[in-house]
Amino acid sequence: MSHDQGQTLVHMVNQIAANLSGGRETTETVEGVCTHLEKFWARAMKQRIVASLDEPDSGLTPLARQAVERLAERQTAKAG
Amino acid sequence: MIQHFDPRQHDRDLGTPPPSPAADAAPVSVEIDGVAISVPEGTSVLRAAALANINIPKLCATDNLEAFGSCRLCAVQVEGRRGTPAACTTPVAEGMKVTTQNDRLARLRRNIMELYISDHPLDCLTCPANGDCELQDMAGAVGLREVRYGFEGENHLAAETDHSNPYFSFDPSKCIVCSRCVRACEEVQGTFALTIDGRGFDSKVSAGQDEAFMDSECVSCGACVQACPTSTLMEKSVIDAGQPEHSVVTTCAYCGVGCSFEAQMKGDQLVRMVPYKGGDANHGHSCVKGRFAFGYATHPDRITTPMIRESIDQPWRPVEWDEAIAFAARRLTAIQDQHGRESIGGITSSRCTNEETYLVQKLIRAAFGNNNTDTCARVCHSPTGYGLKTTLGESAGTQTFDSVMQADAIIVIGANPTDAHPVFGSLMRKRLRQGASLIVADPRRIDLLKTPHLEDAQHLPLRPGTNVALVNALAHVVVTEGLEDHDFIAKRCDTEAYRAWRDFIAEQRHSPEASEATTGVSAEAVRRAARTYATAGNGAIYYGLGVTEHSQGSTMVMGIANLALATGNIGREGVGVNPLRGQNNVQGSCDMGSFPHELPGYQHVADVAARGRFEAAWGVALDDEPGLRIPNMFDAAIEGTFKALYVQGEDIAQSDPNTQHVEAALSSLECLIVQDIFLNETAKYAHVLLPGSSFLEKDGTFTNAERRINRVRKVMPPLAGKADWEVTVDLARALGYPMEYTHPSEIMDEIAQLTPTFAGVSYDKLDERGSLQWPCNAEHPDGTPTMHEVDFPIGKGRFAITEYVATEERANRRFPLLLTTGRILSQYNVGAQTRRTDNQVWHDEDVIELHPSDAEVRGIKDGDWLGITSRAGQTVLRARLSERMQPGVVYTTFHHPGSGANVITTDSSDWATNCPEYKVTAVQVEKVSRPSEWQRRFDEVDRQQREYLATAREAAS
Repeated sequence: MSHDQGQTLVHMVNQIAANLSGGRETTETVEGVCTHLEKFWARAMKQRIVASLDEPDSGLTPLARQAVERLAERQTAKAG
Repeated sequence: MIQHFDPRQHDRDLGTPPPSPAADAAPVSVEIDGVAISVPEGTSVLRAAALANINIPKLCATDNLEAFGSCRLCAVQVEGRRGTPAACTTPVAEGMKVTTQNDRLARLRRNIMELYISDHPLDCLTCPANGDCELQDMAGAVGLREVRYGFEGENHLAAETDHSNPYFSFDPSKCIVCSRCVRACEEVQGTFALTIDGRGFDSKVSAGQDEAFMDSECVSCGACVQACPTSTLMEKSVIDAGQPEHSVVTTCAYCGVGCSFEAQMKGDQLVRMVPYKGGDANHGHSCVKGRFAFGYATHPDRITTPMIRESIDQPWRPVEWDEAIAFAARRLTAIQDQHGRESIGGITSSRCTNEETYLVQKLIRAAFGNNNTDTCARVCHSPTGYGLKTTLGESAGTQTFDSVMQADAIIVIGANPTDAHPVFGSLMRKRLRQGASLIVADPRRIDLLKTPHLEDAQHLPLRPGTNVALVNALAHVVVTEGLEDHDFIAKRCDTEAYRAWRDFIAEQRHSPEASEATTGVSAEAVRRAARTYATAGNGAIYYGLGVTEHSQGSTMVMGIANLALATGNIGREGVGVNPLRGQNNVQGSCDMGSFPHELPGYQHVADVAARGRFEAAWGVALDDEPGLRIPNMFDAAIEGTFKALYVQGEDIAQSDPNTQHVEAALSSLECLIVQDIFLNETAKYAHVLLPGSSFLEKDGTFTNAERRINRVRKVMPPLAGKADWEVTVDLARALGYPMEYTHPSEIMDEIAQLTPTFAGVSYDKLDERGSLQWPCNAEHPDGTPTMHEVDFPIGKGRFAITEYVATEERANRRFPLLLTTGRILSQYNVGAQTRRTDNQVWHDEDVIELHPSDAEVRGIKDGDWLGITSRAGQTVLRARLSERMQPGVVYTTFHHPGSGANVITTDSSDWATNCPEYKVTAVQVEKVSRPSEWQRRFDEVDRQQREYLATAREAAS
């Protein structure tokens, strides 16, 4: 069982995306996942998952990836 | 039905219970001994007299049991009626004139007493009940002066005492066969373990089939002992110590029912715990844990000296409080200097008081300067917080416990109230005996289904991990069969969210027929259950960790809320969504801001206005980003970015899943500060061990599963000199953040000032009202027994889409069985308390239950040692064959650390909250001949750490 934290976080976002996708439009899912990460994830976890966007095979599912991209935009806006 | 605490009402025994429902009963005027009194229709003459302060002698009557009319001591005369009816079984009638004392009645009562006493030992001076015996009191009251029959006739004086129960004795020679014990077992507890065996002179109280108490079905709740008017059923602690001389009302520290008890004392020695009749959660009932298992509080294993050590492979060094606190503060500061502000954190306790929990999270947020705070609710009810807040707007159950007495259909999902919440379980069974329908959704056949008179109960034995598919199927039936409450939905629910949900749930894939293959529950059974719930009138849902501890725990909570909203079962008595909370103060620890993203009162850290209030009151700037949750802390510790942890009253090394991962995380810490009453499993990895104080040693409050804030009152001084809140204050001061409190009431005042739902709470008000259910503020000055009566905190109720996503933890060829875990009545959670009491006689080891067919194919016999392997680890337990499990599912408890139940549970967790999926682990079992590798290593570490402790103790003495 791997406990690489980066992988754990990717697994977590994918799981959140899977649970927020059924019966909803894509935009709604992406917004839902992004808001979830904003509300519940620690600063270091957010930074880490945003950093994983640069990894070629991060393992993020397409919906999860869109949500993390949106998170990255909002984090940048917040910092700026 | 909801009655508020009235201290005057609970000092006396009024003889018979109030008629129910009292509120609707018409008043009836009667005259008793010339005193006019008006009482509700249905009240007995005995009770009416008592209310008028006229005390009619009585023996078989007591006000928590229905009138029985067997002793005839309460005989009275009624004008215009013949004979001498028993006051307990005679209801009042308009204009009735009653005489309770005259020569004729006095003679009659004396004659009755004379007969009783002719077959009763006259050892009053040396009897354990001396000073607390109703028979003695009544002999005095009726003026018995002689026993004309003598004492030589046939009698029961030689009957042998049954000492089999560890906590009470049964001495039938002192029994007057009033049946109070038998009736208490039936009416109050609902176990039916006792009966009157034989007739006439041969009548005697008998446990089970004339067995010893321990061999019978008796669950040792103590209701019979409390009901006994003589010393026939008597606590062994009173036999040993004598009658207590004062008592203090306080709150039990076991489960989330939060029973009120009178701690009956001799000086600072606790003689017995007697359930308090005025307690609004328990109304004078108790279970074997709260009633009897309090010996741990003074057990020799208690840690009484602070201890420190440089590293965990070194022996402990006992030190003074100041040195331990300074050592801890120095390490925390050094770590933060080197590794940054976010490299440390803390865990608050659901075992400690609200005030203590509040202080720990305040310490973390204000003195550590980060939001790395979490609590054991992470591993039990965090999905309840998330799910209910999303749908209903508040992270708490909607009802009082008493509400169940108005329920017509009761759904119990993933909860085992008769074992895990026994006092509430008894109340629920009372309602079931009155005819409410029961639907149990559980992989295991729980005891609630065995309740007498319950042939009609429905059991939905679903496969572990398929809760959401089941709840969706139930909702699908409601929607497609026209069982919705359209008025409620239109008036109370968000229209858009409802439409989206309705379209979703009406899809054919959610039909019971479609999900049958997933859940294993027949479509017909699901349809019947949905119809029962939706059409019974008042439908109430109760759930436990079998709902939350799944990868879709939060989704399931929302699914339950959807079901209640769709059927209009919210906002009045008898209905609702009711999480049964595990720990005594798990509701409180969540309320008090233990979670990394929420300040007290569930106010998000990013909420500028809320955070601003705390910053102003605490005098520091607070972080606006959430902190780490427990599993994130573990991961970060292993990775090396998280270095220090302050743990108050929680044993994460035993209770959290994937033990080996937790052990690796704890071993990576440079500073682990554990504050606990015992050397628990976590403390074995600690550098600083601070003695905790038991609930008997401090003032404070606990909040139970019905949001009821109950007072905890100090009855003895802290064994180690400090209550837990004082230790946190010291640590804060040493870290340069002084906190100025002289009493926990001041902490509550601060909580009230900063938490809108607690604005009206104070110790004065709690003393006045007995307890308060939050929200308690200007809008609800007396608290809020039933939530969401008019609207929701978020305005309208919000239906949530609940897509079923199968867990990744599924059975396969390598791990073909599903393990699920649970609790047993006599032990409590990690067992730190109950293992240090005589409750051990009921359950001294954890076993693995499996179905005979699974056993047969593996050649397993009852009692064999079984190796249980999952992808996380292996442990060894003894097998018990049981048909309560369905084939393919195995079950164990986790009360003993050496069992290593959590060595096999994995770190699969709820998607929204990371609450671990304890309830589903894919495993294989096989016969083995020796303990697992982990167990052997555990024994070695355990032995070593105990040695360190023993050495330190010697040094200290």
